[in-house]
Amino acid sequence: MAFTRVNSKLVEARVVPGRRMFSQRGAMLAYRGAVTFTPSITGGQGGVMSMIGRRVANEATPLMIVEGDGLVMFGHGGHHIHTVDLTGETLYVEADRLLAFDGSLAQGTMFMGSQGGVMGVMRGQVTGQGLFTTTLQGKGSVAVMAHGGVFELPVTPGRPVHVDPQAYVAHRGEVRNKLATAVGWREMVGRGSGEAFQLELSGQGTVYVQASEEKL
Amino acid sequence: MATFRLQSTRVLAVDLAGDAVKAKKGAMVAYDGEMTFKKMTGGGEGLRGLVTRRITGEAMEVMEVKGHGTCWFADRATEINLVRLTGDKLHVEAGNLLVTEPSLRTGTTFTGLRGASQGNGLFTTTVEGTGQAAIMSDGPAIVLRVTPGTPLVVDPGAYVAHTGRLTQQLRSSVGLRTLIGEGSGESFQVHFEGEGLVYVQPSERNTIGGQM
Repeated sequence: MAFTRVNSKLVEARVVPGRRMFSQRGAMLAYRGAVTFTPSITGGQGGVMSMIGRRVANEATPLMIVEGDGLVMFGHGGHHIHTVDLTGETLYVEADRLLAFDGSLAQGTMFMGSQGGVMGVMRGQVTGQGLFTTTLQGKGSVAVMAHGGVFELPVTPGRPVHVDPQAYVAHRGEVRNKLATAVGWREMVGRGSGEAFQLELSGQGTVYVQASEEKL
Repeated sequence: MATFRLQSTRVLAVDLAGDAVKAKKGAMVAYDGEMTFKKMTGGGEGLRGLVTRRITGEAMEVMEVKGHGTCWFADRATEINLVRLTGDKLHVEAGNLLVTEPSLRTGTTFTGLRGASQGNGLFTTTVEGTGQAAIMSDGPAIVLRVTPGTPLVVDPGAYVAHTGRLTQQLRSSVGLRTLIGEGSGESFQVHFEGEGLVYVQPSERNTIGGQM
C-alpha cells in the first residue's frame, strides 16, 4: 500500500527509487528525504498521443511526477481523501478528483457514450462530468478527493445501486452505468422531488459515494 | 418499519420495506432496490400546512421516499444526529431537518424574538409523535441537559434543536460598549429553563446578534 492515512484530509505516501508516482500539481504539503517534483507536461502517462487524447477529452489536469526516496504528504483544498487499492481492476474517476496515484497504474480515457448510447452522452451533460472519464488500471493505490467523507457501496448482479449524479465519486470493477430518469409531469411543472436523474450502476464492483451533493 | 442507521457521521442509511419516510428534498445520495421520490407540497401537511408555511417563511421542501431497499441520505457534508421521540415534541429549524418517520407529525410554531436574533425568522418547525428523526448540524452536535435549577444559556447562532418542556427567553447584554462597536460578539443569548435536551453545534450561523 502506497498511501497511509494521516487524517481524513491528509495522506502520506512512501516514495522509493524506481517507482514514480503522479500527483495533482501543488498537492504536496510536506516531504521528508530526497524527493523531486517535476511537472508532467503530457499530464500523466503515455506519450504525446495520450496527451492529445486527454486534451481533446477535456480530462487533462496538471499533474506532476514525484520521484526519489522519502515520504510525501498530500492534501488539497481541505477535501476529504479516500484511498482505493486496485488489484488488477479498473477505477473510473473524474480527472479533477484525482489527488495522487501510483505510477504502476495504466492511465487512460474512456468515452462515456460507449456505455448506454445516447443516454451515456446525456449522462455527461446532466452530471457536468463531460463525455469522457479517466480510467486507472493495474495494481497500485489511488487517492481520490471528495467533499465530505466517502462511503463504499457494493454492486452485485441483480442488485443495482442508484446514485445521485452530484454525489457520485468513482466506481471500480465490471460495472455498467447508465442514466436513469424519473421525469414525470411534476418535474415539468417545477414541482419535482429533486431526484429526477439518477445513475444506475449494475454488474459487479464497488461504487464510491460522497456525503454531499457539491462538486469539488 | 423504517430503520435508521448512521453509515458514518455524515451519511444516514434508511432501510425501507414498503413503507415511506419524509426527507428533505434532494438529500438522497444513493439507493438500492426500488424507490420512488415524490415531492410533498407544503411539507406534507395539506393545504393548511402549505399556507402556514408560506406565511411563516418556514418553507420546507420535503419529498416522500417510498419503496423496498436501502436509501442513503446526506446534505452538504453536515453531521447527522438521530433523535428518538416517544410522544414528546422536537423543535428544530426546517433547514436542519433531514428525515422523519411517517408516524411523526410536523408543524410550525411561533418563537418570538429569539428567532429573529438567530437569523431564523420568527417561526420554527415542530416534530411530534413517536418515532425517529434525523437532524443536521454544522459540525458534531453536543446534547446538553436542562433540569429545573440548572438552566442553560446558548448562543443563538449555535442552537440547533431542543426537546422536552423548556421555556426559552432571549436575553441581551447590550451596553454602551456595544453601541460604539466594541461589543464582545455575545450580546444575545437564549436562556432555556425547565426539563429537556438542547442540541448545540460547534459553529455559529451568521446572526444579527453575532455582529454586536
